[in-house]
Amino acid sequence: MAEHTQKGPLLQFAPMQSLVDEGFWHRLSSLKLNKLGIDDSPIPINGFYAPCSHSQISNHLTLLAESLPSESNESLLAPDTSRGNRNKCSVPGILYNTNTVESFHALDKQNLLKAEASKIWEDIQTGNAVEDPAILSRFLLISFADLKKWTFHYWFAFPALMLDPPVTVNYLKPASQWLSKEEVESLSAACNEWRNSRLTADVPFFFITIDANSCATIKHLKDWETCQSDAYKTLFGFYDPCHLPNNPGWPLRNFLTLLSAKWNLKRVQFLCYRENRGFADMDLSLVGEALITDSQGEGDGVPNVVGWELNKGRKIPRRISLSQSLDPTRLAISAADLNLKLMRWRALPSLNLSTLSSVKCLLVGAGTLGCQVARMLMAWGVRKITLLDNGRVAMSNPLRQSLYTLDDSLNGGEFKATAAVRSLQKIFPAVEAEGVVMAIPMPGHPVPSQEEESVLDDCRRLSDLIDAHDAVFLLTDTRESRWLPSLLCANTNKITITAALGFDSFLVMRHGAGPFSQASNLSTETVTSVCDDMHKLNVNDATGKERLGCYFCSDVVAPTDSTSNRTLDQQCTVTRPGLAPIASSLAVELLVGILHHPQGIYAEGEINLSVSDTTEQPLGILPHQIRGSLSQFSQMTLIGHSSSSCTACCQTVVSEYRNKGMEFILQAINHPTFLEDLTGLTELMKSASSFSMDWDEDVDDEDDDDCVEI
Amino acid sequence: MDIKQDAGNVFPWDGTLTSSDFFRAAHMFSDKWRRFNTSVPPWLWVPCLKRRLASSHEVEGYLSLEKTSLFKSSEEKQDAGSLILKEESNMLENEEPFDCATLGPESDYHEINHYDFHVVYSASYKVPVLYFRAYHSDGQPLLFSEIEKGLPGLSVKFLSESKWTFITQEEHPYLNRPWYKLHPCGTSEWMKLLFSTHKSLTTNGSTIEHYLISWFSVVGQVLGLKIPLEMLNCS
Repeated sequence: MAEHTQKGPLLQFAPMQSLVDEGFWHRLSSLKLNKLGIDDSPIPINGFYAPCSHSQISNHLTLLAESLPSESNESLLAPDTSRGNRNKCSVPGILYNTNTVESFHALDKQNLLKAEASKIWEDIQTGNAVEDPAILSRFLLISFADLKKWTFHYWFAFPALMLDPPVTVNYLKPASQWLSKEEVESLSAACNEWRNSRLTADVPFFFITIDANSCATIKHLKDWETCQSDAYKTLFGFYDPCHLPNNPGWPLRNFLTLLSAKWNLKRVQFLCYRENRGFADMDLSLVGEALITDSQGEGDGVPNVVGWELNKGRKIPRRISLSQSLDPTRLAISAADLNLKLMRWRALPSLNLSTLSSVKCLLVGAGTLGCQVARMLMAWGVRKITLLDNGRVAMSNPLRQSLYTLDDSLNGGEFKATAAVRSLQKIFPAVEAEGVVMAIPMPGHPVPSQEEESVLDDCRRLSDLIDAHDAVFLLTDTRESRWLPSLLCANTNKITITAALGFDSFLVMRHGAGPFSQASNLSTETVTSVCDDMHKLNVNDATGKERLGCYFCSDVVAPTDSTSNRTLDQQCTVTRPGLAPIASSLAVELLVGILHHPQGIYAEGEINLSVSDTTEQPLGILPHQIRGSLSQFSQMTLIGHSSSSCTACCQTVVSEYRNKGMEFILQAINHPTFLEDLTGLTELMKSASSFSMDWDEDVDDEDDDDCVEI
Repeated sequence: MDIKQDAGNVFPWDGTLTSSDFFRAAHMFSDKWRRFNTSVPPWLWVPCLKRRLASSHEVEGYLSLEKTSLFKSSEEKQDAGSLILKEESNMLENEEPFDCATLGPESDYHEINHYDFHVVYSASYKVPVLYFRAYHSDGQPLLFSEIEKGLPGLSVKFLSESKWTFITQEEHPYLNRPWYKLHPCGTSEWMKLLFSTHKSLTTNGSTIEHYLISWFSVVGQVLGLKIPLEMLNCS
């Protein structure tokens, strides 16, 4: 730095800032996916900027969707008509979009920048920049679009040809202080006119002559050489995006380089043109005088160049994540959530969406009932669903089992559990669904000794599954297959919902709490003893109230190999098709009711006494059992309490299981009367049948199945 | 058969507008806004061509007010360090020539958020709907939680107490990108309420003239958009 006696301070320029509208990334993604593929040749793009219009906020170089060529263009040589307007001054740029993040980081940035700088230098030398000065603000963008994660890495460079030694400034002040009042008026008017005319609104560099009468005229740069009049005052003006009171914006750099290199101007008076609310503002606009001592002129090599945009002060690329608005899965999730939120907002403020989205449901059976229950659960916002079924999709299944299609049934048929999970994911990608292909060990279906071990494995597996979930739906098509899950649920006090179908009738019920729920102290004496008098056995749960019954509580006969005399749990192919969707829907609504009830599984059973009955719960009453009949188009709510001789949930049975574990299960499976003996049902039946002569009506098996009605 | 009736002629009025009413109301609104609001950018009508089967020769479109800015206070400055990978440090350290002509970054860096507002007609609810979005100064869209933080204190309270307002995220009908909107399902009800308490508004088809101003005076509150009193008081 030699003598600078006459020179003022260095002129410091405020860097250009970028703003990339979301639409640009959308368009780029689409272009990449549909048209470009792996082609990574540079793409010409357009950026837009305008003079600063706010005293505290700088304007940015903006990229919009229309900055990119449209997909329908044959060639990518030129973006489609992006002639600017007063708010969008168009500036040419180039985009290097790489295919991998490694190649993004490996791009030779300095060389790319130098290439753009030489274009600008060339345009200055040849005079193109005088004809079309917007190209002085040519820019460079490198990017990598990660279309799996919907994140975009990018980095802008605004090449500025460096003057060496750097430019100094003699003064820099608001235009209103440099101009007289009349000049301000005249210049403002001239600028507003320039800005309002379609022909000149997007020409960002110009020069101004002010004559002795304070009349200002704005002219195109290309007129400079021809009309070098001896104007009273001359200003070189440019649209300044910067708002700072003591610094000009970036575009001035290349402008000064042009003026120096092309016309050898060494002392330049410039106008940083800024606006306020759409009109020229001479308080915000700055006038300054720059001194250029740079010795470079025509014919010299390209000057040095700087211009990479800083990211919060650091020389690193930027990254933007748009998964929120581009990823279809996330969009599906927010759309689904919207529905539930609307329901909560408009109709049910106490709806607990977080409980619903976190409850883990196990569906035992993926048939007619299972498919419908799964769909209804998803509709309520339940996300964690496990389906258990060992069957394969048969060709008649898709008609009644709403998750399967014909394709699932071909070639022997897919496993229902896996096909169901796939189907759920197609409906809603964010579902966390799992399929388990497994058979349920059943009492009354004895196993040969060589299969014992695998059956015990299945039992343990089922026990683990039940432990891992919060709510269990029993949706199989036989009674005996419900026994083991019921026992296991009673043991672990899980919310259990049973749905069972007859030909034209159905039962949907929630099991009561388990006998040892919350380890009530009262029952310790009776745990070990099996021979106690039945009446003393504790039928209450932890709250001291009578437990509600489970599916088997009303049975007088233990579940055995089913015969066709049973009303319920016949093979679903002989039920009226309307039943399964009705029962499934009620089952899910019942679960939602339990989840919203302050006492949950301990909630007392309620019945629908009258339509006008107001209940405290916003979702309505919480029944214990719902029995419906299609032949009557009727529905009844019932309550049944637990039986101390229940083969699945009574204290005796559950404590036997707790003591003897799998050995107990095996005995129950292999010996048909084991359970009845254990619970004393055998005794009961003997005493009941001794009275049978006194009864007027015949009590056939089917009536025995009915629950106690109130 | 499509009978288009002037909003004022439907009696008793149900709070809705037809599509052509909206077109007229929108232009009246933006004219008035421009007249009374010289210090604020104007609303612009953006026409859109949508090919419809039942060809109506109306131009569809929406009102747009873009790039209103809100300063974030500096203590809310997020640590965006999470977005900057550690390994991408100083890649240009030794490459770029030293340049003293570049102004250094501001010491007290203020994050500025920009908001765009669109008023779009909803054919299914037959009312205008306010769509909006927000983004940082580099273009990164704001999350809804960030928008909530940026809203003036009044509107958050207003949102949770009022049963007429609900913000949802849905696809913008013309731009095919997710925008936030104030859900329109309560609009016709409270517009009806609003007009019934100001009898003068419904006379002589001036419903259209006052519709958007009244509508805006309510929805604007949610987002902190002010409407000058002069606009409300004009006859």
